[in-house]
Amino acid sequence: MLTDREILSTIAMLKNEHLDVRTVTLGINLMDCVSDDLGRFLNNIRNRILGRAGDLVRVCDAVGEKYGIPVVNKRIAISPVAVAGARFSPEELVAVARALDAAASEVNVDFIGGFSALVEKGAARGDSALMEAIPQALAETQRVCASVNVASSKAGINMDAILKMGAVIKKAAALSADRDGLACAKLCVFANIPQDIPFMAGAYLGIGEADAVINVGVSGPGAVKKAIDRAMASEADLNLGRISEIIKKTAYKVTRVGELIGREVAKNLNIRFGIVDLSLAPTPNVGDSVGEIFQSLGLRSIGVPGTTAALALLNDAVKKGGAFASSHVGGLSGAFIPVSEDLNISEAVRNGYLTLEKLEAITSVCSVGLDMVALPGDTSEETLAAIIADEMAIGVINRKTTAARLIPVPGKKAGDNASFGGLLGQATIMAVTDARDNAFVRMGGMIPAPIQSLTN
Amino acid sequence: MGSKAIISVLGPDRPGILAAVSKLLLELDCNIENARQTILQGEFAGIFIASIPQGLKPAEINNRMQAALSPMDLTVHVKNLSLTPFAAGCACEPFVITTQGPDRKGLVAGITRILACYGVNVTNLQAVFRGGNDPEGNVMIYEVDIPADIDSQALYADLRSGAQALELSISIQHRNIFEALNRI
Repeated sequence: MLTDREILSTIAMLKNEHLDVRTVTLGINLMDCVSDDLGRFLNNIRNRILGRAGDLVRVCDAVGEKYGIPVVNKRIAISPVAVAGARFSPEELVAVARALDAAASEVNVDFIGGFSALVEKGAARGDSALMEAIPQALAETQRVCASVNVASSKAGINMDAILKMGAVIKKAAALSADRDGLACAKLCVFANIPQDIPFMAGAYLGIGEADAVINVGVSGPGAVKKAIDRAMASEADLNLGRISEIIKKTAYKVTRVGELIGREVAKNLNIRFGIVDLSLAPTPNVGDSVGEIFQSLGLRSIGVPGTTAALALLNDAVKKGGAFASSHVGGLSGAFIPVSEDLNISEAVRNGYLTLEKLEAITSVCSVGLDMVALPGDTSEETLAAIIADEMAIGVINRKTTAARLIPVPGKKAGDNASFGGLLGQATIMAVTDARDNAFVRMGGMIPAPIQSLTN
Repeated sequence: MGSKAIISVLGPDRPGILAAVSKLLLELDCNIENARQTILQGEFAGIFIASIPQGLKPAEINNRMQAALSPMDLTVHVKNLSLTPFAAGCACEPFVITTQGPDRKGLVAGITRILACYGVNVTNLQAVFRGGNDPEGNVMIYEVDIPADIDSQALYADLRSGAQALELSISIQHRNIFEALNRI
């Protein structure tokens, strides 16, 4: 017999605190679709996606209804196209992106990720072609997401690839100038990319994964905030140790929801269950924000002094709670701080509390990095590359994932507003320190992998 | 020890009810197998299943217990236990149906009528209606077994439209979600 408290607190989390399953992501291996004939390759991947994912949305909706938990997004992650389609030219890879977009539309998923390359130690022919194809591929499609891993703690930082990505981002923005550079919102540059991220734009199916796998991304910043608010109101001797405990317990519950839903979807589709990514992923809705948690913790806004310490506490407590809840935790797992996707963080930028430099600092203790950051349209390729290099260095040295999803908004300047629509939200454009004549990033080569000892 | 009896005890709550009931059953050589009690607004309700010695009739247990418990203003009812419970053999899925909304007459009747129509068995009900027009203060929680062979979509649709007519918000969720969230 359940207690009324167990039932009513669960319902409150679902109804009032925006607890949901943010995404069920079906990983599909495309490596045996390879062909040297473009038409045959396109046909193979279409058949594979339709065959594997045809029932995904229906099953997710049915399982979501059974448990009263909405599965907000259904997505597909595929083998890195730079590997599966290594044979093809940039123009042909744009055709691959169009085919992926069409297949994703046909099975009614929100996004398909995996238009990706892994170039942390060097770009092969297919990798270079894919990077070349990214701007047009993203500008011409709705649902395709791209990612490029340019660095790792084992390999170091590929500065040639980073410089290339600065140019790719700039071009992608130009090709989608009428939509505030929307194509860039579907492109992530990574250090230490995990093979099993269910969240976009970084989702792809790692080379070490099976034919198909279900990975789940949960959310729940609203549930964490409400739990902190309740404790603040009711516990006289509350301190940060106790706050950490409260966040852990909430993260535990959020993760359990994800694993329950993920396992049932996987069972119904007869596909292996992979991992739960226990991230706090905000949306541009009030009450579904990571930024609001900082205010609950007593800070005027995200970005003021104390933010890094607060985020370190939050991120660590989320990981601990999630790791206890499930033995199969993966992906990014922590707290996201995507500027445009979080109404509160976006406001912090507009009100001057959060600058690009402080944002970079706090990415050293968050689970992703510089995410959905709108920059002035005249930010140069070199400056974009330099910002990416800084972010990658944080990840490589700290042996964690970092990413950069930067949008140089064409025709707009710092302080202007950029709007990307839907879950991608809107953001005030952040000022960038003038970085003309940045010869450092043009020097190229590899920044070597960091030493594994002397860790001070 | 041949058959089993089911004993219900009802009356104003006070210390010593369980002590009195169990002492009487012990004196009658009955062995308690299951027991559950609850208190609603100061009223005690207890239900006991006990194996009873051969030859001892439920009516005799009833008379002995009623005589002993009357001074405590308790009402006793004893009968033979049916050995074919409804749930046996039912291919069902356990769900939890929760409603909240302003208080009015007919809320339990409105929801349970629909459940009964579909052969849905209520295994546990907790309901509080003390909130007047405050929806949060009026809650019904039904733990139910929904037969696997019924049209569950039709059931959900009827429950949702029935709840709407009663101005109730309603949640219909598989029980596992509550266990997953709240229990290790």
